[in-house]
Amino acid sequence: MRWLFDFLNSSIGKKVTVGLAGLLLCGFLLTHLAGNLILFAGQAKFNAYAEFLEKNPLLPALEIGLAALFLIHIIVTLYARWQNWQARPVSYEMTVSKGGRTWGSRTMTYTAFLLLGFIILHVATLKYGLATSFTEDEVFQRVMTFLKSPWMAGFYVLTMAGLGLHLSHGFESAFQTLGVNHPKYTPVIKAAGILFAVAVAGTFAVIPLWAYWQGGLK
Amino acid sequence: MNLTLRVWRQKGPKEKGHFETYQVQDVTPEMSFFEALDKVNEELITAGREPIAFDHDCREGICGTCSLTINGQPHGPDEAATGCQLHLRAFKSGDTITIEPFRARAFPVIKDLVIDRSALDRVMTAGGFVSVNTGSAAEANSILVPKDKSDAAMDAAACIGCGACVAACPNASAMLFVSAKVSHFALLPQGKPERDRRVLAMQKQMDLEGFGNCSNESECEAVCPKEIKVCNIARMNREFLRAIFWSKE
Repeated sequence: MRWLFDFLNSSIGKKVTVGLAGLLLCGFLLTHLAGNLILFAGQAKFNAYAEFLEKNPLLPALEIGLAALFLIHIIVTLYARWQNWQARPVSYEMTVSKGGRTWGSRTMTYTAFLLLGFIILHVATLKYGLATSFTEDEVFQRVMTFLKSPWMAGFYVLTMAGLGLHLSHGFESAFQTLGVNHPKYTPVIKAAGILFAVAVAGTFAVIPLWAYWQGGLK
Repeated sequence: MNLTLRVWRQKGPKEKGHFETYQVQDVTPEMSFFEALDKVNEELITAGREPIAFDHDCREGICGTCSLTINGQPHGPDEAATGCQLHLRAFKSGDTITIEPFRARAFPVIKDLVIDRSALDRVMTAGGFVSVNTGSAAEANSILVPKDKSDAAMDAAACIGCGACVAACPNASAMLFVSAKVSHFALLPQGKPERDRRVLAMQKQMDLEGFGNCSNESECEAVCPKEIKVCNIARMNREFLRAIFWSKE
């Protein structure tokens, strides 16, 4: 099994691990988004969906798997970043890009920390009800009460802009890392990455805006 | 034209470096950038001061010896050119130009703008070769090589090993260099028998030398004087995954 250790510890192995976890997290984003869209179907339908999820016996296993994906994605990246930081002990006085980097790739670390902060806040408040004054048990009511605050709705929208930036680099980068680079498919993958980033982040961002304009529960 | 040069001066590998400013008077746009540095050095020597140490050899963009980061860009602002191919016409009279060495832990500064790039040689020694002596040129049709493969191998083999990819990478990763070398062998029939052993050994040595991890920023491709493409990095990733998961190495 030495080969597996060598793989995980190698620079290519680390990026393959991060890329694969990232692509699986993209899959999670799609299922989460699909669930969110049920909000627009109204209180009864959304609460029924939430109940269906919570009563699912597979939920704890799925949650552990999801947490593991996030942790792998974060920890391996932090380790790689720490090595990268060490790889240039004396930094340049002047750095000018020749056009390789994009806004997405440039801001990966910042958007990553923004998303991490968001995830902690999001799970702590809406899932576990920490630091909130929810009197409602029902998820629909919680979401609407929570996003009534312009600060929270604004932070949610800002984070989704960060998510879009993160995905605009991450999606195509994962394919390159897995060795998928081909004159026929790479332009399609790049375009699909931008489309995925804009569509997913944009649709997610509609929810806090909508909830805010609803002004909480009528 | 007149220029102000801010040059990184460092007495030795263990010394602390700093910038020094030099005025270059009455140079012409058709002069090469290195000729301007030569002029500064002649004046420094005449004045009894230590000249600026910088690496150069062919001065025609084929040897990969120059290692200057000029105004924040390895090899300077020209596209697909080395530092020695840069001319003063790329600047305006009165410009201030900042000159630093390529910076990476794996490329320690020896003096001023001269760096030690033997890390790249050690990566080559680890596996960047074909072990079998093939003798003199064989009959041309005895091993058939498709044109597109030979073109791609030649494009990869154009790498002159200057290290600008490492210098430009925000992570100081050497993936473009190593992937060009891996690709140039992996694409050709003569390189195929050792492809698994080669990619594993070269990747391992690359990590040991203390280069950073690639995060697909593509700055390497943008600065490469030989226009090596990042599709080579994807090929090296494939070669590596193949070697790790399918070979017996």
